[in-house]
Amino acid sequence: MSKRIVINPLTRISGFMEIEVIVDKNKVVDVKTKGNLFRGFEQMLAGRSPFDAVYFTQRICGICSAAHSVASSAALEDALGIEPSEQGKYLRDIIHCCEFLQNHIRHFYQYTVPDFVRIEGNTLLQTEHTDFRLPKTLNDLISRHYFESLELSRLAHQMLAVLGGKAPHNHGVFIGGITTQATAEKVVHLDSSLQKIAKFIDEKMIPDVFEIAKYYPEYYRLGGGYGNLLTYGAFNHYKDIGTLYVDPLVFTDDGIRPFDEQNIQEKIDYAWFQSPKTTYSPDEMIAEPDRDKDKAYSWVKAPRYAGLPFEVGPLARLILSGEYTNGISAMDRTIARALEAKKIASIMKTLLNLLIPNTNVQKKYELPEEEVSGKGLVDTTRGALGHWIKIKNKKIDFYQIITPSTWDFSTRDENGYMGTAEQALMGTPIHDPENPAEIGRILRSFDPCMSCATHVHTPGKEVKTIQVL
Amino acid sequence: MENYILPPEPLTNEAIAARLTAGARNGIANGSVKKKNLVYLELNGCSGNIISLLNGANPDFEYMIGSMVNLVYSNSLMAAEGEKAIERLMNALDEDYILAVEGAVSLRDNGLYNIIGTWKGKPLTGLEAAKMLGEKASHILAVGACATHGGVSAARPNPSQSVGLQDVLPDKNMIKLPGCPVHPDWFLGTLAHILLYGDPDTDNLGRPLMFYSTLIHDRCPRRPFFDRGIFAEKLGDKTCLFKLGCRGPVTRTDCPTRQWNGHVNWPIGDDTPCIGCAQFGFPDAMAPFISYDTTRVVKDE
Repeated sequence: MSKRIVINPLTRISGFMEIEVIVDKNKVVDVKTKGNLFRGFEQMLAGRSPFDAVYFTQRICGICSAAHSVASSAALEDALGIEPSEQGKYLRDIIHCCEFLQNHIRHFYQYTVPDFVRIEGNTLLQTEHTDFRLPKTLNDLISRHYFESLELSRLAHQMLAVLGGKAPHNHGVFIGGITTQATAEKVVHLDSSLQKIAKFIDEKMIPDVFEIAKYYPEYYRLGGGYGNLLTYGAFNHYKDIGTLYVDPLVFTDDGIRPFDEQNIQEKIDYAWFQSPKTTYSPDEMIAEPDRDKDKAYSWVKAPRYAGLPFEVGPLARLILSGEYTNGISAMDRTIARALEAKKIASIMKTLLNLLIPNTNVQKKYELPEEEVSGKGLVDTTRGALGHWIKIKNKKIDFYQIITPSTWDFSTRDENGYMGTAEQALMGTPIHDPENPAEIGRILRSFDPCMSCATHVHTPGKEVKTIQVL
Repeated sequence: MENYILPPEPLTNEAIAARLTAGARNGIANGSVKKKNLVYLELNGCSGNIISLLNGANPDFEYMIGSMVNLVYSNSLMAAEGEKAIERLMNALDEDYILAVEGAVSLRDNGLYNIIGTWKGKPLTGLEAAKMLGEKASHILAVGACATHGGVSAARPNPSQSVGLQDVLPDKNMIKLPGCPVHPDWFLGTLAHILLYGDPDTDNLGRPLMFYSTLIHDRCPRRPFFDRGIFAEKLGDKTCLFKLGCRGPVTRTDCPTRQWNGHVNWPIGDDTPCIGCAQFGFPDAMAPFISYDTTRVVKDE
C-alpha cells in the first residue's frame, strides 16, 4: 500500500519549501519539491536605475546576498563594456570567498548537523526522529562545535564587512570590483581572521563530516540523482594566474565538456507561471505568475541545459575540477561542502597575497544612450548563478535571474525529466514513514535556498483579474 | 527634548546591548525575570534578519537561546520539521510569548503566495500565522524593513501585494526595528529591554529611541566635508557622499558609531552612500541608491 508523506516546512533551509513524497513498499516512488514563496524581483527591477541592481538583487537572499551582488556587477560590466582590473577582480573575489566560508560553515553546522547529531539542552534543537548513531563522546564533541561554529561564520561575515561595509547585504561589491581600498591594515585583519577559520575547517569541520559519514554509510548510496554536473566556473580566468579553482564545464554520460551558455533554457510546464512559450532562453522572456495553473505545484521554474536537468554546487565543482572522485550522493555532497570550504580558504589566501594595498578601482560610470544588454554568469556557494540585464533609456528594461537552487530544485518538465533533487529522492528507502529523516537529509545535502529559487517574476504587467457580477 | 537620547559616542557600540543583556541574565539568574518564550516567524522576505541575528556577539545567539529566552520556533534553525514543527508553533499559543516577525505579510490570493507550513493537512499562510500569533503575543517585534513597512518585498509594483506587519494587526502595539537587515544589537538590545523593563521608549513610529533617535548625518565622520562643501564624485572617494545620493541626512540609526559585524565597518566607511535601508519607505523612497548625475553641472538649460 502506498503512503503519501508531506513535509512542510522543510526547516533549516533558507526560505520556504514543501516536499510531497509517495512511498510504496517503504521506497520512494514519486516526489514533488515545492517552493512556497513568491516575491517577484524581476518585475520589481524593471524601471529602476541599472546601478541599483547591485544592491537591490542582494535582497533576494539573506544568506547568499553577496552572490547576487557579484552576478549583478558582472552583468552590468558586460552590458556597459567595462573590464574590471585584475586588482578589482581579486578584491571582489575575496569578498565572495568570505561569503562561501560563512555559508558553508553555517550550512554544515546549523542546518545539517542536527539531522545526525543529538544536541541536548535546548528544545529548539530537539527533533522527533530517533536515528542518532554517534557514540556519546563524539556526539557531544560535534554538539560543541555546533555552537563554536557560530563564532567562525560570524567571523567570516566580519571579514566580508571589512571590505564590503556590512553583511548581509554588502555595499562593497560593485562595477569594477569593489568600492573601497584594501589598506595594509585591512589585509592583515583579513589574513588573521582567515587563519582562525582555516584552522577550524581543518581541525573540526572536516573531521566532523567524516565522522558523521562513518556512522551513516548508506548515505554514500542515497541521493545521487541524474549525475549531470554543471559549473559556470569559479575563481577562474585571471590574466596573470589563470584558474585557481574550476573553468566552465559540464559533465554527463558523454563525459566532461566545455560549458556553452547557448544551451540554457527555462521551462515552466509544472511551475505556477504562464508565458507565450513554455520553453525559452533566459534573455527571451519572463513568465507571469498563475497560482491556479493546472498540474503546476511550485514557484520554482525548471532550467535545463541542452534539455537535461543538472546538479550544481560544491560537489559538481570539485568533481569537474578533478579534485574529488568518490561519487555522487547525499554524503558526497555534504563532504564536498566541507572540502570546498578548505579550498576556498586557500584561494582567499592566494588572492590576499596578490593585493596591492590602497588600489582604488572605482570610476565615475555612465549609462549609454543606446540599448545594451549583458549577462553575469558566476558560480557561487550553491552553484551556478546567472543574471541577465537589458538597459533601455538608462533604466532596467528586463532582468532575469536563474539561481543555483532553481537548478537543483526545479520542477519536472514536459519531457518527463524530474528536477535534480526530485530524482535524487527516487527509490530512497524510508525506514519510518512517520519520521522520515532520510528525506530531509538528502534534500539538505543540496543546501536549498528557496528565497533565491522563488525570487521570480514579470516586467510591466499586472495579472488580470476578472470580477464576476 | 524629553525622551531624546544621544548616547555618549564611545559607549554606544557595545555598551547598551551588553548592559541590558547582562541585566537580563542577572534577573533570570536571581528569579526576578522569567525566561520567556520567543517565537521567531519568517514571512515574505529573504531571512536576512535571522542571519544578521546570528552575527550578534555579546550577547551571541547561544547566549540568547541559553540565557535570555526559550526560542520555540524558527524556520531557519529548529531541528523539527514538517507538521511537527508547526505543532510547536501552535503549542506556543498556550503560553506567554514574545513574537518576533521578519518579512512582510503577503496578501495576494489570500496569502497563498507565502505558505509557511502545513497544519492538519491544510496550508498555513504567513498571513494567517501573523494574525493568529500577533493577537496573543505579550510583545511584538517587527524585525527588519519588510516587517516594519513592507520593505523590498513590497517594492514597486509589489507583485506579492506585501504589507508591513502593522497593516494586518492594526490595533496591536508593536516595536519596529527597521533596517535591511536589522543590526543584531538593535534586536538583542530591544529584546533585553523587554525582558528587564518591558517595552523601551520609542518614537512616534515605534522605533526604540536608544538605537534610532539620531540622524546618521549628525554623527557622520564625513560631516566636516559636507560643511565645507567637499563632495565625492565616485564611489571609493573619501569625502562627503551626499552628491552620490547618500541618505544619511534622512536616516535615523546609530550606524556611524555602532558600525556593523563586530563594529568593523559600515556603508559610509566602505566609501559608499547610505541607501537609507533603515528608513521607512525603503527601497522605493530611497531610490536611486547611486546617482552620479547629482554632481552634473547643468549648462544651457
